[in-house]
Amino acid sequence: MAPIIKTTDLDKYFGRLYVLKNVSLEVTPKEVICLIGRSGSGKSTLLRCINFLEEPSDGMIEVDGLQIHPGIKGKQRRQIIHDIRLRTGMVFQEFNLFPHLTVVENVMEGPVTVKGMGKAQAIKIAEMNLERVGMSDKRDEYPNRLSGGQKQRVAIARALAMEPKVMLFDEPTSALDPELIGEVLMVMKKLAEEGTTMLVVTHEIGFARDVADRVIVLADGEFIEEGTPSQLFGNPKDKRTQALLERYREGQSSQEK
Amino acid sequence: MCPQTSGTSGTKSQADLIYAEQLRAKRRFAIGVAISWIVMLMLLVFLFSSTNIALGSFTLKTIHIDKAFIQENIAFIASGVGVTIGISALSILLATILALLAALGRLSKFPPIYALCTFYVSLIRGTPLYLQIFFFFLALPQIGIILPGFWAGVLALSLNYGAYMSEIFRAGLSSVSKGQREAALAIGMTPGQTMRRIVIPQALRFAIPPTGNEFIAMLKDSALVSATGFVHELMWRATRVGRAQFHNLEALIVAAVFYWIMTLIFSALQSRLETRMARGER
Repeated sequence: MAPIIKTTDLDKYFGRLYVLKNVSLEVTPKEVICLIGRSGSGKSTLLRCINFLEEPSDGMIEVDGLQIHPGIKGKQRRQIIHDIRLRTGMVFQEFNLFPHLTVVENVMEGPVTVKGMGKAQAIKIAEMNLERVGMSDKRDEYPNRLSGGQKQRVAIARALAMEPKVMLFDEPTSALDPELIGEVLMVMKKLAEEGTTMLVVTHEIGFARDVADRVIVLADGEFIEEGTPSQLFGNPKDKRTQALLERYREGQSSQEK
Repeated sequence: MCPQTSGTSGTKSQADLIYAEQLRAKRRFAIGVAISWIVMLMLLVFLFSSTNIALGSFTLKTIHIDKAFIQENIAFIASGVGVTIGISALSILLATILALLAALGRLSKFPPIYALCTFYVSLIRGTPLYLQIFFFFLALPQIGIILPGFWAGVLALSLNYGAYMSEIFRAGLSSVSKGQREAALAIGMTPGQTMRRIVIPQALRFAIPPTGNEFIAMLKDSALVSATGFVHELMWRATRVGRAQFHNLEALIVAAVFYWIMTLIFSALQSRLETRMARGER
């Protein structure tokens, strides 16, 4: 099957800092991929390059057949970036709900402003997506009245309302209190079961093990190892992967104490 | 084993008790302040009540004011309230637009635009408002531009307050986090839509309460426009009748009372607005 996302030799520099090194990734439709790695390994940067919240320094990106590389410039470039953003939904670590809008308005904002949809239809779509994340009862609340987990579920609904081809999750549970992580992971698991294509940067090893089709380990801006969860967690080959998994295990057991 | 869960119900009621006690203390303080205010107000009124109190051989004389003069002229002075509010309202509106433009301009990556905004702010803040009013009223006619006093005043006040308020709007814009822009871009909004729909509404919400303060300040600074001699606002009317009949004391007291009352009313409205604007805040 044709990949929905394809990056070829993606490079990213922050000044002199070389944070993504020749990264090539293919995501096929309905696939759930978890990107794991220590902080600073480049996993979030990779995600943010795909929808151009960061400008890649070099290399090609293809999303749903739309190709972009440094040779494409000016108006054409802006148009492709816009079209790529329409095909990708993004969920942020810090939720980034719009605080001046209610829950339902947050979810409607994309369909109304970007797609030019009528209010009535946008409300319908918003309500349907709030239902999917179990947040219908809070539709008229402002974000400051919600818990972190609820905010993140609304943020997921907001991304889904644009009917993206692929969902990008940038550490969606890292800013949450431990007791609120479960509700967000549950929603994500449900989306995966519904066949949503998902690229997830996460430290939640349990989620990766249960839900991912493929797990990719990053270190120093490179893919060092990838495989199915059972391969990767059962029999990690690379020393750095082993060390990473060891750290996660320690973290988990110290939480349980 | 979670040690922090044990005994929460006990500490919670304790916290409630402490909170209730703090609330009571706050209320006591507020009542004390209110009573003191009333006493001070009564003292101030007494000071101008032209009563004489004999304390043995010593007579306490308070300031004498001519009530007949006040009765005759209060309507004339009061009819300036509308002009004062009109000038201030029009000027705050124009100042708000200028301030927003200047604040947005300072986000520009194009040097001349950025420079224009800082140049404007520096020039206006570097010269007195009084001078600016005269400049538009008295200096411009020399180059063939004749502005009525009212418009010279509005122009000067707008430009002046616009420069100061651009700082408020700049703070408002920078109060909107980068994540807000990213979230808007990620759902496909253009940079222009992101500005209009996400950044500016939040910046305005941040900026409206301080703009209310600026409006209240402007109500008083609009008195400077009386210097043109052609704008019949509160201050002009007070000085006019005060000087003509040598009753400046009474005339200025009347004007002061009007200014103070207006300030009190608008402060109250502004604090209500502030409460309403806080809705949905993070």
